[in-house]
Amino acid sequence: MLGVSLSGKNNNFYFPGQNADSAGIDVLFKESQDAEAVHVCRQRMLLSIAAFLLIYFIIAFRVIHVCLVNGIQIHTPGDESAESEIYAGTPISRADIVDRNGAIIATSLPTVNLYANPKNVRNPESIAQKLTHLFPEIGYNDLMTKLTRKRTSFSMIKYNLSPAQQAAVNNLGIPALEFQKSEKRVYPHKNLFAHILGYTNIDNLGLGGLEKSLHKRLTESSKPLQLSIDMGIQDTIREELVSAVEEFQAVGASAILMDVNTGEIVAMVSVPDYDPNLSIPVGDRALFNFATQGVYEAGSVFKTFNTALGLESGKVKFNDKFDATKPIKVQGITVSDYRGENRWLSVGEILIYSSNIGSVQLISRVGKEAQRQFLINLGFNEQLSDFEVFEKGRPLFPSQKKWRDDTMATVSYGYGLSITPLHLISAFSALVNGGIYHYPTILKSDTPKHPARRVISERTSEQMRKLLRDVVVQGSAKNANIPGYQVIGKTGTANKLTNGRYVDKKVMTSFVSAFPQTNPKYALLVVLDEPKGNKKTWGFVTSGWNAVPVGGRIISQIAPQLDIQADFDLDIQRRHVKAAFIH
Amino acid sequence: MINTKTAITILWFTLTCVICFGSFVLKNQVHDLELELSKINLNIQKDVKTIHVLKAEWSHLNNPSRLKKLAAEHISLNKMRAEQIINYSALPFEYENGRTDQIMTAGVDHKEYKKLVKAER
Repeated sequence: MLGVSLSGKNNNFYFPGQNADSAGIDVLFKESQDAEAVHVCRQRMLLSIAAFLLIYFIIAFRVIHVCLVNGIQIHTPGDESAESEIYAGTPISRADIVDRNGAIIATSLPTVNLYANPKNVRNPESIAQKLTHLFPEIGYNDLMTKLTRKRTSFSMIKYNLSPAQQAAVNNLGIPALEFQKSEKRVYPHKNLFAHILGYTNIDNLGLGGLEKSLHKRLTESSKPLQLSIDMGIQDTIREELVSAVEEFQAVGASAILMDVNTGEIVAMVSVPDYDPNLSIPVGDRALFNFATQGVYEAGSVFKTFNTALGLESGKVKFNDKFDATKPIKVQGITVSDYRGENRWLSVGEILIYSSNIGSVQLISRVGKEAQRQFLINLGFNEQLSDFEVFEKGRPLFPSQKKWRDDTMATVSYGYGLSITPLHLISAFSALVNGGIYHYPTILKSDTPKHPARRVISERTSEQMRKLLRDVVVQGSAKNANIPGYQVIGKTGTANKLTNGRYVDKKVMTSFVSAFPQTNPKYALLVVLDEPKGNKKTWGFVTSGWNAVPVGGRIISQIAPQLDIQADFDLDIQRRHVKAAFIH
Repeated sequence: MINTKTAITILWFTLTCVICFGSFVLKNQVHDLELELSKINLNIQKDVKTIHVLKAEWSHLNNPSRLKKLAAEHISLNKMRAEQIINYSALPFEYENGRTDQIMTAGVDHKEYKKLVKAER
């Protein structure tokens, strides 16, 4: 029997349950050394039982743990790890870019590239003929060169095939043709975000805008990159700018809308622009992002900073008056007014009538050192290199040595110092938001990269808002006085420097504004490059005739979209209700 | 007669066979499930890809200029104006829950509106 044969003499093997005391085995252990062996065996058996029990306990514990305690993992929304798991499944390697509301503005589509393995090509003429039929744009001779390349097993034929084209090539049934997985960057909104996003090349390498500056972020994480841009607002502003360029025959136009309390850019448009989906060559001007690259002398809008500095320094009081009766000379240059009032002007009137003479007199009280330092505080001397869009202009900021009295005078009304629209809007936001400078950003983020800094006191900011409101109500920006929104702002018209001379008819007009006065939420800058006069403007080319009405039209459309309630009093509101019913 | 040892041996043998067969069946089932899983995963991948492409298409179709054009063509919705946002207190009567229907019907006819205002005051 099996049991007997296994438990023969001198065999120390025992089946479980077999008793060492049983009669058959008893004979073997009469001697004392045998008894010891039994003892050892028992111990070993106990040890094995203990070991197995332990293992079974561990398994049982683990089973219970997996089934009950750590069973189904529920990811709560907002959980970072959960999100990364979800996005790990995206079919593309370059992350999407979305606007502040989550709408996709740049994405990649999975495609395939068609390549040939010339080593497997048996009949190049026939293959070339068939492929020319499918892709007439490549050309027979080109294909022949590609198919007959020597000493290589890879010859690219066509990038980014559509699914239909891929199916057609598959149907040819040529074994030498193979596909390679790829993806193509697409911009569903075409021109709308051209200058912000930039574009990529055929190998998906960022070549401009955010695609270039944030290339690493876009390729390392598949989580969509969220911008602070609002698509609807961006579209409204672009539409207005395009029609303004047409109306005033301008060379270009640019606008930036900034959230004054965070420094977030809500819209940024420069026209002319281009469609980043198409790889057709466009003019240099279309590729030029004026909003961030356009270094220009802003002109009279600088009087805003001049006045703020005066009030902040304490050397100029709110009710002070300045002699603007005649032109003044500063270190060899004569400063006069455009359509001057020729009388004594208050601080407010200097802004309302945009008096160069008044501005120079005002800054003379403060001094060039304080002026230079104030402008440095406002960020006018640096490139804003941490702003995310790749293309940025460096301001032309005179050195300490060159900052003489004449520089002080010209800078007070916006000449002799060149900045970009981005610099201008960031600094202006700080003047009207209560005096805090926020570094501009185009990414939506809860934690700003740069700490905000105070540049003027809350009191000065409030005074500035009052003065700037007067400019809109009584001064050069009347056309932007949109009922209900208490727009504040300042206009600027600067002659363009051409071959070292200022040309009269070539101007840059700017309108920088914010709304509403009591608690500004957004600041808008509109810049027109070389607008021409027309019948509607009586031939004038100053800002009040072009940039201001454009700004006004933009504000009247975007303010309701931005959730800003108009401050109509009850009577006016009742009238509106009645008008609506009767209508 | 089968003695205890033989019985134990047979029991162990049977148990071994059962466990072997059980493991074989289990392995087979796991294999099938794995196949199914890989199929499902493949389908998920395909679906994710399709959803991704559809999202891009949706974004393209939601282009603000296009929507504006379509809205102008098919519905009478225009851009909102500042005057269109009012407080409840500007309405000609006290606002109460469930009264919005009256406000809307009041807009249909000018005379109705007047009547309503009179009644409410």
